[in-house]
Amino acid sequence: MTTTAARPGQNGAILARLPFHTPLLAAIPITLCMVVTALPYAGNSTAGAFRILYLCAFLAWLAPLTWFQRMLWRRGLGWKATLPILLLTTYLLSLIDSVLGQTLAIRLGTAPGYQWSAVFRGLDGCWLPMIGYCASHAVVASFAALGREQVRVAEAQAGARDAELHALRYQLQPHFLFNTLNAISSLVADHRSQDARRMIAQLGDFLRATLDGVNGHEHALADELALTQGYLEIEKARLGARLAVRMKVDPGLLDAPVPFLILQPLVENAIRHGIALRETRGTLELVITREAGRLHIGIANDLAANAIGADPLGARIGIANVGARLERLYGDDHAFSASRSADGRFQVAIALPLAASAPQHRMAA
Amino acid sequence: MMRVAVIDDEPLARSGVLARLRACPGIDVIAQYADGGSALRGLDADPPDLVFLDIDMPIMRGIDVLAALAPNRRPLAILLTAHEQFAVRAFALNALDYLLKPIDDERFAEAVARAQTAHRVKQGAPGAPHPSPELFLRTFMVRLGSRTVLVDAGDVAWIEADGDYTTLHAGGKQYLVRESLQRLARRLDPASFVRVHRSAIVRIDQVAELRALPNRDALLCLRDGTPVRASRTYIETLSAALGHSPAA
Repeated sequence: MTTTAARPGQNGAILARLPFHTPLLAAIPITLCMVVTALPYAGNSTAGAFRILYLCAFLAWLAPLTWFQRMLWRRGLGWKATLPILLLTTYLLSLIDSVLGQTLAIRLGTAPGYQWSAVFRGLDGCWLPMIGYCASHAVVASFAALGREQVRVAEAQAGARDAELHALRYQLQPHFLFNTLNAISSLVADHRSQDARRMIAQLGDFLRATLDGVNGHEHALADELALTQGYLEIEKARLGARLAVRMKVDPGLLDAPVPFLILQPLVENAIRHGIALRETRGTLELVITREAGRLHIGIANDLAANAIGADPLGARIGIANVGARLERLYGDDHAFSASRSADGRFQVAIALPLAASAPQHRMAA
Repeated sequence: MMRVAVIDDEPLARSGVLARLRACPGIDVIAQYADGGSALRGLDADPPDLVFLDIDMPIMRGIDVLAALAPNRRPLAILLTAHEQFAVRAFALNALDYLLKPIDDERFAEAVARAQTAHRVKQGAPGAPHPSPELFLRTFMVRLGSRTVLVDAGDVAWIEADGDYTTLHAGGKQYLVRESLQRLARRLDPASFVRVHRSAIVRIDQVAELRALPNRDALLCLRDGTPVRASRTYIETLSAALGHSPAA
């Protein structure tokens, strides 16, 4: 993992986050090995007594040794420093074991007294298990840290994606908000206070629906349609008879998950850059169908008679925003197109995966 | 006369409620309170029939005012809030209705009408007599250019408010009727038509799907695939109508 390698100082601290009892569990296999190697001496009481002494000493050193190794990690020492310190420490502990062994020999009467030159002999039975334990402690801690790091990176990536999607979502609102406030201000200037109050209430409903807690990036088609109709109610008040709306939804699709606020920017686009520019009545058509296991959304609107040439900037931003959100949410598993059709209407077509694949994109928080 | 008190810490919010109440007949505003403490004392000393109560007031919140009153001294309550989350809890205290800020005039009028009905029931007065079926509209007179067309009520799938007028959706065609949805609603047979939203009436046998939304509203899908919003105010009537409809 590149992130951990780049911060050797913190690396040790990460290793020390392993729960204290986990490395002690790693000592079980070593203890078993010591028991197995002691079995042949079962008949010989003197040799057996030494084996039991060394085993008990090993078990007694485990907790202090674990604490010491973790303290070295917490100090931020790297492998180069930790390795000799641990080798030296375990060697000294083995020497203590050896002195204890001589004490036992004197008590059992097999040795006349302490022989300090013999203290350095036969340390393998004590030293090797401790080295083995420190090594497995390090391996277990590294694996645990690696796992935590992977989870952290995955969470960071998901968080970045969520933030990006939220930013794209909020980019949509100001447009519509200022247009509506302007319409309300016109109603007030006209002394149409009842219409103004109605539009303020509708704007309140719409903002509540868009700002209040949707926990993920998707919600049910029924929610999206209700939200879109709340928006259309405001546009109908602004445009009156110039706006005609036709909606059709195939049966059984109301529960299908769709991206939050996917229809509103497209419908707003269709109205502001299409129908609102016309002198005569224009129709907005929203058709939602199920075809070959996919959810198809079609939005079509009439255009102004002179609407030939480049699309206005606002329209392009809205379309690009929806395209970017679909890309983030579904990757290659979607289709999105926006174009002028042969009959002179503007058409947007979206195909999304239906049912099972969608909920995995929901935000964990 | 129904005696009403208005409780909200914001003076402008109170005057908005008072202005709307002036348009309602049979209402007598007896008191206004700007905080929970004085409201509690006032309601206890001189109980009104109905209170408009803001939920998010500082120190003593609207819900606490209601909860502090003995249940038999609790007036009918219409709660005011900007946040839907509070409203759901309000129903635990048997609030009659809740209104979201900014207040919608039609929703306000509906809430007052509900309060008046509940008040009459509380006093044991009989409800309004049911109009006889002969009085209901069988056909709609619709102007198409210079001629007048008759549209049979049985052909109408749903009716949509269109400003001060209404649009009939019948047989895939749309007809403009020069009458408001409110007035039209009163003349329709409740056995076949039901109001589902401030801006929509549907024919009961045209409802194909109904899905509840998180905010207690619902979305209907008609047989022709048209999605229609249903607001929580009308859901009970709608469910009852769907349950009794021969088509359901």
